Amino acid sequence: MSNLWKILTTHRGNGWWNLPQTSQSNTNPKNEGPLSISWLKKLWNLLSHGGVDHAGPAFYTIVAVFLAIVTLLELWIYTVETLGAWLNPLLFLLSALKFVGVVAFFMHLRFDHKYFTIIFTFCMILGISVFISLLLLWSFAGLKP
Amino acid sequence: MSQTIVDNHHKEEHVTSTGLSNRKLLMWTFLGSDVMFFGAFIATYLVYRGKSLNGPYPNEILNIPITSISTFVLLMSSFAMVLALNYLNENRRGLTQFWIWSVVVLGAIFMGFQVVEFTEFAIHGLTPRTNLFGTTFFILTGLHGGHVTIGIIWLAIMGYAHKKGALRSDNSEDLELAGLYWHFVDIVWIVIFTVIYLVSASDGPPPGIPGVTH
Repeated sequence: MSNLWKILTTHRGNGWWNLPQTSQSNTNPKNEGPLSISWLKKLWNLLSHGGVDHAGPAFYTIVAVFLAIVTLLELWIYTVETLGAWLNPLLFLLSALKFVGVVAFFMHLRFDHKYFTIIFTFCMILGISVFISLLLLWSFAGLKP
Repeated sequence: MSQTIVDNHHKEEHVTSTGLSNRKLLMWTFLGSDVMFFGAFIATYLVYRGKSLNGPYPNEILNIPITSISTFVLLMSSFAMVLALNYLNENRRGLTQFWIWSVVVLGAIFMGFQVVEFTEFAIHGLTPRTNLFGTTFFILTGLHGGHVTIGIIWLAIMGYAHKKGALRSDNSEDLELAGLYWHFVDIVWIVIFTVIYLVSASDGPPPGIPGVTH
């Protein structure tokens, strides 16, 4: 506990907060990768320049193909009339997949410092809360108590 | 003397109180605030969804195949952006130039689609003043278009700076920040495409209102 207090309050010369430096030249964390399965990890390392630096063009191409396929899938689902009530949840799920794909890999959040993820996620949660509150407020607006 | 000043300036840029790049932190904070900005407009669109008392309604006017192509173009511009940054970091000048200008061209094509769409809608009688759908649609997609336009200008400046040698691998963060902004514009469109175009595409007049339009 005292150690935590020291970390949070001590100015160490390189900053008020004891945060590690982030740099593209830094080696990726040990368990970097989408899944902790060894062969997938090896494939990941192969695609992302041997596990150091940011992912390489081959990996970005895979992500781009994935995003294109998901977009096509969205279009196909949109034309399927039998889905009924499943249509919108499915579309939102696919949209969320694309969103995460771009934010995590194209925007480098997966490789970058976690504080950037925290800032963005916090704002996302705040934004979604406002969004849901507004929708709920409106759906109950015409109802008498 | 001047060397000392340059050295001090250089040092200040790289040692920050958080240990992170201040400019990158600022960009992520700005993007976080922009998420809330767009979130409010998307929520407004959904609140007024299906409440237009007169047409044209979404099911009469939205062109899903055309918008799907423009969505694909924007997705590919994000891909081009990430490659531009990658090649800048690898100091490969020709490829960096090619991919930066690819982003600019793809962004301009996307804006071209939007201009055509807006013109088409106006010809069919849908303007921001026509009905609730028109108001919320044009404000949301127009604001997004404004963001894309700013991104195109920013990246064109980056492309020119790279050509003139002012953008190099040692200051690649300049392009990384522009890239973050560009990818953000892309993710906002991912949500808009789903919410406005796919989910609302079959929306007609609200119950009780005859389907006769304009």
